[in-house]
Amino acid sequence: MSDRVIIQRVLEGDVEAFSRLVDLHYARCARIAFRILGNREDAEEAIQDAFLRAFKALSDYEDRERFSAWLTRILVNQCRTVLARTKRRDALFADVDPQRLDFIVAMESDDGRWPELEHVLGRLPAQQREAIVLKYADDLTYEEMARVTGAGESALKMRVQRAFARLRALLQEVPSV
Amino acid sequence: MSDWFERRVARALRADVPLAVDESARRRVMARVREAAADGHPGRRRGDAWSRISRHSIVALSLAAGIGGITTLSAVVPQARRDAGALSAVVIGDSVVSTLHDTLRLVRLILDAPDARRVAVAGDFNRWDAEATPLVRDGRSPRWSVTLALRDGAHRYAFVVDGTRWVPDPRAERSARDESGRLYSLLTLSRTAN
Repeated sequence: MSDRVIIQRVLEGDVEAFSRLVDLHYARCARIAFRILGNREDAEEAIQDAFLRAFKALSDYEDRERFSAWLTRILVNQCRTVLARTKRRDALFADVDPQRLDFIVAMESDDGRWPELEHVLGRLPAQQREAIVLKYADDLTYEEMARVTGAGESALKMRVQRAFARLRALLQEVPSV
Repeated sequence: MSDWFERRVARALRADVPLAVDESARRRVMARVREAAADGHPGRRRGDAWSRISRHSIVALSLAAGIGGITTLSAVVPQARRDAGALSAVVIGDSVVSTLHDTLRLVRLILDAPDARRVAVAGDFNRWDAEATPLVRDGRSPRWSVTLALRDGAHRYAFVVDGTRWVPDPRAERSARDESGRLYSLLTLSRTAN
């Protein structure tokens, strides 16, 4: 069942149909929120608030835009709200012991997860972190990212580029063999 | 994106996070949606009563417990206390369990214990069973947490680290020793806190 059909059902009064949208988009939202906010509690709060806002504003959704991108825009705004309210960004991520950096790359697991990356994401400026997460955790195009963030495409490309440079410095790239 | 490092970062960012497969988290979303639906159909913008209630509870209870809300304690707790473990206990809402009992509250207990292999919480609510209520580690972070449904009233509790080390809440409003000299913390839940 497509997003459009589900949305129509919800708007006709079938509240439970909204759970299909939750099922379809929750994992993606979790990737975005967790990596922007850096901890599970804040991420879950932002996701809950985002879905709730989406539900309440569903009649305003226009299908010229992908529902996923519309939802992402709401989610990113919620993440920004959480960050602004808690002012915990600098405290969210525990400092990584520099002596551990030597084996950080080797800790990447087979499924692609890279725990130390999650930690050092918190050292990126918020705009860079948001940009690189949207680009790769959500596979958005720069055009979609511009709609989500309100920033220009060239600025977003620069943020992603700088994010990579910062991460490279933080994680001390180990040459492949 | 051309090089090895960037491909690796991109792959890691696409990897799922534990929260993504948490079915209970999805159910909590729908619990809030149903609350909103009871207040008005999509498109009818009304106040989010649940949100107001739950956030008010968080602030009120945090103040009552003498703690600063959901805080990343590693940043504010001195190293010695961090080593001993740091706790933040927060009511995250009661509406989602209203079908069970209207005085049950959901309380999330959090312990930052980076070196622990396992953590549990024991208290009046589980007859001080050191195995019954384990906390779950959030990925590889130092944070352990569990969410409990507790009735209004005073609850005594302590964390049990690695099955042997009892850790009270260093920031709780009150701590005391039981008959055997073991430290415990006190959490008070009351509707007047709202």
